[in-house]
Formats: sequence, structure tokens, C-alpha cells
Amino acid sequence: MHSVFVTGTGQFLPGDPIGNEAMVDYIGCLSPAAERLGRLTLRQNRIKSRHYAIRPDGSSDWTVAALAAQAVQGLVRDAEVEAREIGFLATATTQNDLLVPGMASQVHALSGLPPMEIASLQSVCASSMMALKAAALQVAAGEHRAAIAAGAEFSSRYFRPGHYLGTATMAEDGTLPGDAEFLRWTLSDGAAGLLIEDRPAAYGLSLKVDWISLRSFADRFQPCMTGGAVRTEDGLKPWSQCGSIAAAAVGGAFQLRQDVEALHRMLPVWLGEFMRLVDEGKLDPLGVDHFLCHFSAHSLREEMVRLATKAGCMIPEERWFTNIYDKGNVGAASIFLLLDDLMRSGRAKPGQRVLLAVPESGQCIMAYAMLTVVGEEA
Amino acid sequence: MTAATANPHVEAAQRGLARVWIEFESALVQVPVIARMLAGKMRLEDYQRLLVNLRQQVVEGSRWISRAASNLSVRHEELQSLFVRHAPAEHRDYRLLEQNYVATGGALEKIRTARKNIGSEALSAFMYQAASRPDPLGLLGAMFVIEGLGERLAAGWAEAIQSQLQLPDEALTFLSYHGANDGDHLDMFDQALVLAVTDAETAEEVVRHAKIVARLYRLQLEELDNV
Repeated sequence: MHSVFVTGTGQFLPGDPIGNEAMVDYIGCLSPAAERLGRLTLRQNRIKSRHYAIRPDGSSDWTVAALAAQAVQGLVRDAEVEAREIGFLATATTQNDLLVPGMASQVHALSGLPPMEIASLQSVCASSMMALKAAALQVAAGEHRAAIAAGAEFSSRYFRPGHYLGTATMAEDGTLPGDAEFLRWTLSDGAAGLLIEDRPAAYGLSLKVDWISLRSFADRFQPCMTGGAVRTEDGLKPWSQCGSIAAAAVGGAFQLRQDVEALHRMLPVWLGEFMRLVDEGKLDPLGVDHFLCHFSAHSLREEMVRLATKAGCMIPEERWFTNIYDKGNVGAASIFLLLDDLMRSGRAKPGQRVLLAVPESGQCIMAYAMLTVVGEEA
Repeated sequence: MTAATANPHVEAAQRGLARVWIEFESALVQVPVIARMLAGKMRLEDYQRLLVNLRQQVVEGSRWISRAASNLSVRHEELQSLFVRHAPAEHRDYRLLEQNYVATGGALEKIRTARKNIGSEALSAFMYQAASRPDPLGLLGAMFVIEGLGERLAAGWAEAIQSQLQLPDEALTFLSYHGANDGDHLDMFDQALVLAVTDAETAEEVVRHAKIVARLYRLQLEELDNV
């Protein structure tokens, strides 16, 4: 296996940053009660601004594939490697524009790249790490000299009133269940990606990929964050088995939901993966210089810090790097956005170690990756 | 914990215990009686069966703790005092289980005379065997699992069971007591761990005992009424 390196990072965020006060102009107003819950959610997640690919009237020139393609084109433009040498594209998203075919096809089509190998990874936030691992392994195995992993989300379009009105999810007073409303005020749009090569960049800093660990705990958790199913007494019923498309829609099948209670039970499992990596000698918490963690649940943070501290697993807080306050939670794009912002911040120095952490609540996944900064600052 | 007081062996034990706990808690949700409770489909017979089966193991609690205490050498006096102070709590526990059973309409005679299920037999046998060894520090791992159930799960279980079966408070005192009080027990546990774990070998023993007890405890729940 070759060593592999992240030689480029890039992002694309549509439009101007949207502040908290203007959010409702974009995702729309369901009811005063819904807005109260929205303000509460914003206090908890502490996001101050984000980007939306929709206009205030809900229309858009974008698709999620087009957002991803912008990030891919940026990577190709800035790359030292020739575009034709990039032989593999892995894409990550929560919900593609189309049910069929996979997103990588549309992203490839829009990217301007010649025929290539592709993979469409679909999950929630951790799909980004699936794409990264696929790209890293393809290059490590010598299948391709260079590869791109790109993540993108276009969630705002699912949060417009038209997606809730007349469905069972919405109560008569215009309120949504907390788990559905919470997501409206948390997720936003954008894309980001990484260029992976079999050698470090000749100019500027690269990141050597030391290891990538991704584990599913679906053997013990029920689906937690879902879309595409109606919730019934007997569990989730797929939209396609509701008798008719109309019945599925009215039943609330096409809405994103998150079971917040299950989220709390996942926290120790996510942290346990960290402990496993420490015990296996892959990870020394004090040896991490930059901790990029896609956690957005601030309410769980205190419990996590307590657990981590007594188990000798606490990375000092001054080494945590986050951009959630001004870029929001962009799901499968978030970890690449974080890495791109870190590399642009000037804070990464040769020899430093960067730990990526992506928990996914979908049905419980935890992914970590260790990178080492190499090369010389440009 | 600050860097000055951090002990790498205690930290390793805490990591190992946390991982055992995760495995245990995650696996518990697949045990039929717990799965029914979490799905909101528990029946009164389920709860009564749970009480009867738990009682046969809990009634041994103070005895194995006392035995463990008597096998701690003079070097571990402080730990011995902690063990001895903990024993009476176990007496209270099995009586709560009996009272809860009666409050659900069960006969006292039945819960008192039921046999251990085959999982409880294995759990109990392991506990006595471990407690009979000289300086049985590893048993702290066993306590971690059993106290952890109280601290982390009991309150949620009590709430779920009460709302599904519309039981009066006095039918749930065992679970609700633990939910409300085992936070202190776990703080005490952290202290005990610092006293006991001074080398890598003990850290490993504690984690190993936790692993075994977690599996046997689950076996006990899987084998309800299988005597």
C-alpha cells in the first residue's frame, strides 16, 4: 500500500451568510410556536450564520450535485496534478437530488472531468468519512494516482412550509414535533472536498493520512435520524409501501426526523470508539494538535468532557477547532469544511497531528481519522 | 482530574470500564424483556418476572461483598471499609424487590422461594469465586457494572415501566431508588478505583471482572424463569 496525502482542500458555500434573524425568510414561517422552538434551538447549537442555496421564495438555481461539483471544480483548479490523472470521485450526501442514479454520476457530469471511477456514498454526516476512506484506499492500493472525496448538502429545501403543510407531522396549531423542528434550525447548505494523492504536494502543506476508522453500531441501535418512512406503531414503514405516494406524503414520509433521546444513548458509544483507539495505541489524546470534531450537540458536551477526562481521553479544549458558529451544520460537507478552514487559517504547522471526528446519529456510526501535516508552508 | 493527580492506570481502567459498559448497555437493548420495555410493550407478567429473578441474585449481594471484604489484606483497609459500608445497602435492596412484587399483586411467598435462574447461578458462582480469592480487587469491576445499572438505567426503566403498566410508586421503589441515589455510589466508586488501581495488572483485572459480570448479568436477564 502507498502512503496517501490530502494535497488539496476546498469548499463552496452558496450565497451570502444568513444571520439568525433572516433564517425565517428562507426556511419560512410555520407558526409563532415553531419560531420560539427555533430560537431555543439556536441558543443550544450556538450557530450564528449559515448559507442557503434557496431564495426567500423557496426557488433555487442549485442542486446538491451542482454544489458538490463547484467544490470539485475548485479542487481541480487548485491542484498540482492534471485533471485527467484524477481517476476516482467519491461523493457523500444525506439526500441526493434524485432517487436514481447515485449522486457521483451527476457530480461527475458537472465537474468537467473525463471518464473516471466513481462511488456514491449515501448516509448522514459519516458518509463524508466513507468517501474519504474510499478515496484514500483507492490511491493507497495503486488503483488511481489521485482521487477526490466530496461532500454536499442542500437541506434547506426540505424545511420549507410546503414540505409540512397538510401532513400528519404538523399539528393543527402549526407546530412540528421537536425532533423535526430541531433539524430545521440546525442544518444548512454547502459543499466541500479533499484531493487525495499518492504523494505530498510539491508546494505548500499536505496532510498524510495515518489511518481512518469507521464503525457502525446499527447492531444495537434503532434508526435515529430518518427520512423516507412513515412512523408507525410497528416501526418505520418505507414511503414506497404506504399504498400510494399521496398517502406516504400525508403520513410525513418525506420529512427528516431525529430521535433526540437515542442521541443521548449514542454519546458514550461514540466516545468509546475514541477510547478503543487510545487503548490500541493509535491515538494519544495529548499528541493531537488540532481536534476537528463534527459535534453539534452542546447540551451533551459537559457529560462528554467529564467522561473523557476521567478516562484520560480529553484533548485540551484550546486544540478544538470549529467553524460551526459561522458556517452552520452542513452534514456530509462539514468535516471537509472544517479541514479546509483549518488549512486556510495558517494554524496548521508541519509535524502537527490533526484528528477528524464524525459521529453520525442516523443509526449510530462513529468515524475518526488521523492526519499528519507535512511539507513546507507556502 | 488535573495532570498532577492523573494516574495512567486508573485512566486505563476507566477507559476499559467505559468500553465494557457501552458493550453491555448496547447489548441489553436486545434482551427480549428489555426490548419489549423499550418498545412500550411490556406486560405486568414481564415486570413481575423481572422482580422475582433479580431478587434471587440481589439477595446474595451483601454476602459476596462481605466475603470480598474479609479477603482484603491490611494493605487495603480503606477499601475494606468501603466494602463493609456498602453491604447493608444490599439488604435493603432485596427487601425493596419483595415489596415491589407484592405491590404488583404477587405473593411474598413466591418471590422468597423462587430459585435462581441459570444465568443468576452463573453470576452468583462467579462472584463468590472471585470474592474468595486473596485481595479480590478485580471485583470493583463487578460493582461498576451492577452500580452502573442503577445509576444509568434504573430511572429510565422505572419511568418506562410505570407509564406502560400504570403501577403505583410503591411497585417501583427498587428501580426508582437506584435511579435517584446511585450517582453517589458511582462517585464513591471512582474513589475506590483510585485506592485499588496502582498498577497495570490491577487495572486489567478490574476491567476483566467487569466484562465477565456484564455478560453474566445479561445472561441472567435472558434466562428469566429458566431454572
